[in-house]
Amino acid sequence: MNADRVIRWSIWVYLVLVFAFVFTPIVTSVIFSFNSDRFPTVPLGSFTFKWYETVLNDPDFWKAARTSMLVCVCSGVLATFIGFCTAYTDFRYQFRFKGAYIALALLPPTIPLIILALGMLAWLSKIGASGQVWSIIIAHTVLCAPFAMGVIRLRLQQMDPDLESAAWNLGASEWAAMKNVVLPFAMPALISAFCLTMAVSFDEFTVSWFVSGLNKTIPVAILEVLQGTVDPQINAIGTFVFFTSMTLVVIAQLIFSYRSNQN
Amino acid sequence: MSQAQIVFEDVVKRFGDTVAVEKMNLSVEQGEFLAIMGSSGCGKTTTLRMLAGLESPSEGEIRLNGERINELKPSERETPLVWQSLALFPFLSVIENVEFGLRMRGIEPAERKRRAMVWLERMEIAEFAERQIDQLSGGQKQRVALARALVTEPPVLLLDEPLSALDANLVVRMQGVLSRLQKDLGITFVYVTHSQSEAFAMADRVVIMSQGKIEQVGAPLEVYRQPASRFVAEFVGSNNIFTGKVAQTNAGQVQMDTALGVIHASGVQTAPLENGEDIEVVISADNFEIDAVPPENGEAIPCNVVSEEFIGTVVSLLLETESGVELKIQKQQREIAELDLHIGTTLWVSWSPDAVYVLPK
Repeated sequence: MNADRVIRWSIWVYLVLVFAFVFTPIVTSVIFSFNSDRFPTVPLGSFTFKWYETVLNDPDFWKAARTSMLVCVCSGVLATFIGFCTAYTDFRYQFRFKGAYIALALLPPTIPLIILALGMLAWLSKIGASGQVWSIIIAHTVLCAPFAMGVIRLRLQQMDPDLESAAWNLGASEWAAMKNVVLPFAMPALISAFCLTMAVSFDEFTVSWFVSGLNKTIPVAILEVLQGTVDPQINAIGTFVFFTSMTLVVIAQLIFSYRSNQN
Repeated sequence: MSQAQIVFEDVVKRFGDTVAVEKMNLSVEQGEFLAIMGSSGCGKTTTLRMLAGLESPSEGEIRLNGERINELKPSERETPLVWQSLALFPFLSVIENVEFGLRMRGIEPAERKRRAMVWLERMEIAEFAERQIDQLSGGQKQRVALARALVTEPPVLLLDEPLSALDANLVVRMQGVLSRLQKDLGITFVYVTHSQSEAFAMADRVVIMSQGKIEQVGAPLEVYRQPASRFVAEFVGSNNIFTGKVAQTNAGQVQMDTALGVIHASGVQTAPLENGEDIEVVISADNFEIDAVPPENGEAIPCNVVSEEFIGTVVSLLLETESGVELKIQKQQREIAELDLHIGTTLWVSWSPDAVYVLPK
């Protein structure tokens, strides 16, 4: 009885500590984004929206934001599509070297980002495609597709393999079965994979920095600002980036777990 | 006699080196309730899947209404299947599940809804039309699966162990539903099962399969009383099988030596037997007479009761003769009650020569 109480309290303390450790820096950054002082020091100055105004009036920020949005939506769509195709081949077909095929498909995130970025830069410039917006899209698609595959594969593993055959048996062609059975079943995973890959792409710095050229994404833009000055508008941008990514990830989680439980 | 509706001609199915179905020849009449039985891995499900187009035969030809269907895709056949897993679409409502086949055939929404409702009413689940699949009980899901398969009014319905997930009471109830449905519709049912009671209760004809081969095809009673091989005799129900040698034969009367002593058989239709020939005979568990005292006329063998199993109205007894031969006997519970049995009680067992069935070679 008493031991139970101790364990329960320890778990709570542990949980609070973990969250504190993870979120303190972020919360600090959010707080300082509303602080009027130029340097991040305690005690705080007065409350202000000044830094947000600076950011919002900065055309460079808007340009970077547009690039980031374009890149994350496009690479999200592409990565989700490719991820679905790989996950579906895994679900549907048995073939030799399937293990190697899956391992290869899951490989990109395990490669150190700097190596991947260098490789991308070398290869893209070789084919004359570096420094474009779509260079970042290609690079991010490669980086994100495995995450999409992981999420979608998890969902397809819950699918009764007879379901697709049942659709054929009831007169559906292979395409009709894909459209009416496989895709609806996988839909929660598709949406959640799309949000997740957008979040990954939106946050990604290393690869973007190497291949983006003049088309800076937000993380790249942040670094360039930082290199010049210590400016609290970084905190404002950081807050914006954090909430965008978190929203995407939370949506992804909610949709996936809610719809999976339902079925 | 009408032309057979479904014909398997020398059909072979191999998966790599394994032969799943070996040289199958089988024809099914229009309107017949055919059950294919066997233990798992005997090729019964593969046979059904070949009929639905989910597997293609390695050799031979499958014909439906006289036309070769080997090359047809599953979606081009009118052979809906009721799946063991039911395979209902979890993201669709009950009525959307039933409408699926009609939707794939391009039927108008209003028309397909009307036709789906007809089947939901027929299966007595119309009130659940708008429910989600996971809100239904096992029996209700079963009915949705049937309605979904039958809504396109196919000439043949394939069923792959559809009742295996239901509890015993519901199985009996669904057997009634299926039997009546098949009679009312007059369409062919091909029913795969490992359960003898399901097959015997519903089917017009039963196919017994083992290791990819057909062991016997016949009416349930025929398969039960006249098994074509030792495998069938062991597979269907509680048969006692004895091996022995022919001692004397005369116009269907055979006398043989077995572990049980000398056995007489009458009305033997097997090919002429030679004296000294090896022979296998079957005495069905329900064909024995038992008594607490030796009968005054005729022969009887004394046996000890080894175990007793009470299954509802029927009691299964395991007896042992003095020489250690085991006998399986089934009796009505009422008859047994008069004998006041205990483990170790001695009973006198007898049987009529008519009850002795000689297995074909």
